Amino acid sequence: MIPRNGQAGWAREAGLLLVFAVIVLTMPEWLEWIGGYSALATKVTIWALFALGFDILLGFTGYLSFGHAAFFGTAAYATGMSFRDFSPEIVPALLFSLAATVPLALILGYLTLRRTGIYFSILTLAFAQMLHAAALSIFSDWTGGDNGLTMDVSPAFMGEDLSDRAIFYIAAGTLVVGYAIARQIRRSPFGLMLMAIKENPMRLEYTGAHLRIYKIAAFVISALYGSVAGFLMVVYEPYVATKYLHWSTSGELVIMSVIGGVNTLIGPMIGATFMLYFENVVQGYLGEQWKLVLGIIFVLVVIFVPGGFVDMYNRARRRLGMVARLRRPNVPDAPGSIEEERARPRNVQARHELPTE
Amino acid sequence: MSDQLINALFLQVLTGLQIGAIYALIALGLTLIFGTLGVVNFAHGALYMLGSYFAVLLAKQIGFTATILVVPLLLFLLGILLERGLIQWFYARPHVDQILVTFGLAIVVEETLKWIFGANNIPFALPSWGLGIVRLHEWVPFLTGFVAFPKWRLILILVTLVTIAVVFLLLEFTRFGLVVRAAMRDTDMVSLLGVRVPRYFAMVFGLGSLIAGIAGTFGGPITQVTPGVGMEVLVPSFLVVVIGGMGSLPGALIAAVLIGLALSFTAEYSALQQIIVYLIAVVVLLVRPRGLMGKKGVFE
Repeated sequence: MIPRNGQAGWAREAGLLLVFAVIVLTMPEWLEWIGGYSALATKVTIWALFALGFDILLGFTGYLSFGHAAFFGTAAYATGMSFRDFSPEIVPALLFSLAATVPLALILGYLTLRRTGIYFSILTLAFAQMLHAAALSIFSDWTGGDNGLTMDVSPAFMGEDLSDRAIFYIAAGTLVVGYAIARQIRRSPFGLMLMAIKENPMRLEYTGAHLRIYKIAAFVISALYGSVAGFLMVVYEPYVATKYLHWSTSGELVIMSVIGGVNTLIGPMIGATFMLYFENVVQGYLGEQWKLVLGIIFVLVVIFVPGGFVDMYNRARRRLGMVARLRRPNVPDAPGSIEEERARPRNVQARHELPTE
Repeated sequence: MSDQLINALFLQVLTGLQIGAIYALIALGLTLIFGTLGVVNFAHGALYMLGSYFAVLLAKQIGFTATILVVPLLLFLLGILLERGLIQWFYARPHVDQILVTFGLAIVVEETLKWIFGANNIPFALPSWGLGIVRLHEWVPFLTGFVAFPKWRLILILVTLVTIAVVFLLLEFTRFGLVVRAAMRDTDMVSLLGVRVPRYFAMVFGLGSLIAGIAGTFGGPITQVTPGVGMEVLVPSFLVVVIGGMGSLPGALIAAVLIGLALSFTAEYSALQQIIVYLIAVVVLLVRPRGLMGKKGVFE
């Protein structure tokens, strides 16, 4: 896909963001219509931000990280410590958590991005687990060990305590800004480089590009989203669970991104909404087995619709004879995909450039 | 060296071997499957866990001796079923999809076990011949005084050694092994030569699963039998594979022993023990990115 630039693009972009902002900001209301409760909206927004950042790494570059909990959890702990030991102000807490996670992202990115594919997944998983183990042992004096980090504060901004609604608006505003930035990244030459890394890193390297820098940049940007999400999580709920650093948090992130639809930006956010809705509302009907049902849904999605909900929607539209943009995320070089592309009627998608060999 | 020191060192080495034994068995299956099929099996920990659960349940019904034979066989069949039913459709898909589907499978297994048996540990009653301790000073000449080691852990080390030896013989000296080793080098060429590679793939997955079953049966009493144990053993086993070099069987064994020893020798410093495995992985990765025994250009 070619990033859409030009004059007309900006008006369309602004309109799109406006619609997105309205949907996000009215979430406390419409969640209630579908059986949720308004307080869930903040949590959904935070996870959506986390998943959005994850898509910049997995969707654009195709690197599947199993260790994003490291950033979410580290930021959460840093925020928690700032609240507990310094002040209930959120601004220093945010700065403090970024100061902790940015160097961490650089180090982990430097180490893990030395390898690709499977190695990368395994290594990110391992290093995140190392942090989890360290938080429970070496740093247990600071982190509260197995009990998690408890604190008795209510987060404040400029001396004023934040209400639940105010925290929601902060999170929602961050998500809208985050989405706007992510869309700009996708439209930019930088974003194109990232997507080219997924398509064919070797060929890209032959053109003289220094891929390492781009990959680390994508990794750090994606980690930043995760850190802000971790920070917001503790602002929303002033308690840091050890689970935030655990691989299961990374696993949930992977599940929601894939169910929603990788490399679509909107997909992982839909996935996050779906998953939290499932966890908090559907659980009432299914009981403890909700995780099993979710796992089965996840496996079925991976097997039959690797493009997630967004792909499902596009397929349905094509079935109905409507124009839908073809985007097979995370299946760039699958055998047969090129033939499939060539056989496809050309008028369906004029913008899509065919891979040529 | 004083006698005390020799005794202590000997015991720590044994403990290290015992810790490494479980990782070695799981990593052996992982690296075998990865080397041949090119699939990273995130569900391998779940297979280990299934082995433990089967063993606990069957031991009560048919006795432990029969269990030792039945569980690996069950896991072998399960592995073949899994490969034919699911994994084979993922060879042509990107690695990311393979990771995702096996990861999803691991979750489904974990949650199913949690649903049926609850989240608590199921006590694993050892058979009468596996109880108690072995007085090692009666057997090993250079030990003095009183040196003892739990019998079951020694059995685990022995079983691991035998399993590794059998797998080695199978791969080195049989037609099956010849084809598998050839397929590890170049799958396309082997199938062009008229070998029905898919059958061998199913067998290899079954074999990896069988080894996980052996590990689950003998390791279950040591690692506990809970629904979370699969992922707990999987992460270090992955590191063993990475440290040893992806797809290298001897590499996996060396790395497993290395990690086992590292864990046993840092046992007194619990903080260090928590992260030593990852530290080793970092160092190996920085100094030798393809792993200790990884071949140049293979899965780099």
